[in-house]
Amino acid sequence: MTTDAMSGNEPTRRGFLDLALGLLGAISAIGVVYPVGMYLWPRVDKKEGDETRSMKLPVGDVPIGEAKFVRFLNKPAVIMRPNEQEIYALSAVCTHLGCVVKWNDAGKDLFCPCHGGKFDVKGNVLGGPPPKPLPSFTAKIENEYIVVAEA
Amino acid sequence: MEMNTLELGPIKIKNRLLIRIFSALDDRLGLREILNDEVFEKISPAYLGLWSCFGGITFFLFINQVVTGMLVMVYYQPTIEQAHASVAHIMNEVPFGWLVRGMHAWGSNLMIVTIIIHMAKIFVHGIYKAPRELNWVTGVTLLLLTLGLSFSGYLLPWTQLAYWATVVGTETPAAMPYVGEYIRFAMRGGDDISQVTLTRFFALHVMIMPVTIAAVIGLHIAQIRRQGIAGPL
Repeated sequence: MTTDAMSGNEPTRRGFLDLALGLLGAISAIGVVYPVGMYLWPRVDKKEGDETRSMKLPVGDVPIGEAKFVRFLNKPAVIMRPNEQEIYALSAVCTHLGCVVKWNDAGKDLFCPCHGGKFDVKGNVLGGPPPKPLPSFTAKIENEYIVVAEA
Repeated sequence: MEMNTLELGPIKIKNRLLIRIFSALDDRLGLREILNDEVFEKISPAYLGLWSCFGGITFFLFINQVVTGMLVMVYYQPTIEQAHASVAHIMNEVPFGWLVRGMHAWGSNLMIVTIIIHMAKIFVHGIYKAPRELNWVTGVTLLLLTLGLSFSGYLLPWTQLAYWATVVGTETPAAMPYVGEYIRFAMRGGDDISQVTLTRFFALHVMIMPVTIAAVIGLHIAQIRRQGIAGPL
């Protein structure tokens, strides 16, 4: 089509109608995409205690030489007491690919079942693929309670 | 050869990128031939009017059921403990959940209405006659599959209405002589309505019957394409 009206910048009836049609199409598309997007986007219900920056549990819950797995800051964590004096709290999420580590009672260390990562009670990597140590939290015993807090 | 304007029926495309994308697809898939034959140069008979649209409307509603069904399935939980709570969650808490599930529930009702109108038109105009008898057969198969989908979907919210409707709906075939009790047993997956019933109705509703009905719809439409749309006889 090479009429004068089409070649110049003059607004044309057809051009206007094409634009109007395009806008209507865009509004319709938003009318579908917006509700479907809102519908599908996950809404996580906050549980009580998720936001707590520290946690407290009776000292008897973690016997000497054993490990206790807890949820801290909404993620798995582990508390260990290798002896009477020491107490450690670590994130239990392996730094390799996010599996939850397990307590290896034979070696008194942590073992990741996914790809064989090994950590000591302080979180240092002993072997396997993990690139960094497990993040640690502060843990101390106060009046027969273990108090874990962000480092 | 570069074109300045691509003409597809009434559509004129001037954007060079769009022309190149279309041309690349056309070279490989014969896209222009398909579009011309099936869309732009396909002439509908002049005697087709509103009443000829109900098969197509039913198909549109089926697509609506598939899409909204997929969305409802994102939040629905097919267990007797969670089914009703998850449906209440969709209706009351998920944004636009009321709309999505409403479209699914109302769409299923409307589908039955449009199928009845479609069938009535075919019947009154006598279009089921030779050579289109087999199309009536696939059509009735589609009606039965739609009713089956409606019935299986009815149990899934696990409300009192859903539960007792399924008690009655599985009790009815039990009245048949000799085979009835076996049919009831097979439908319920046991003597009573239980988790087993919910699970098999769920499997039927979201996978087995939708796949089957999609195949039969394909056959139904292929028959129309082969024989052409009939006018009133």
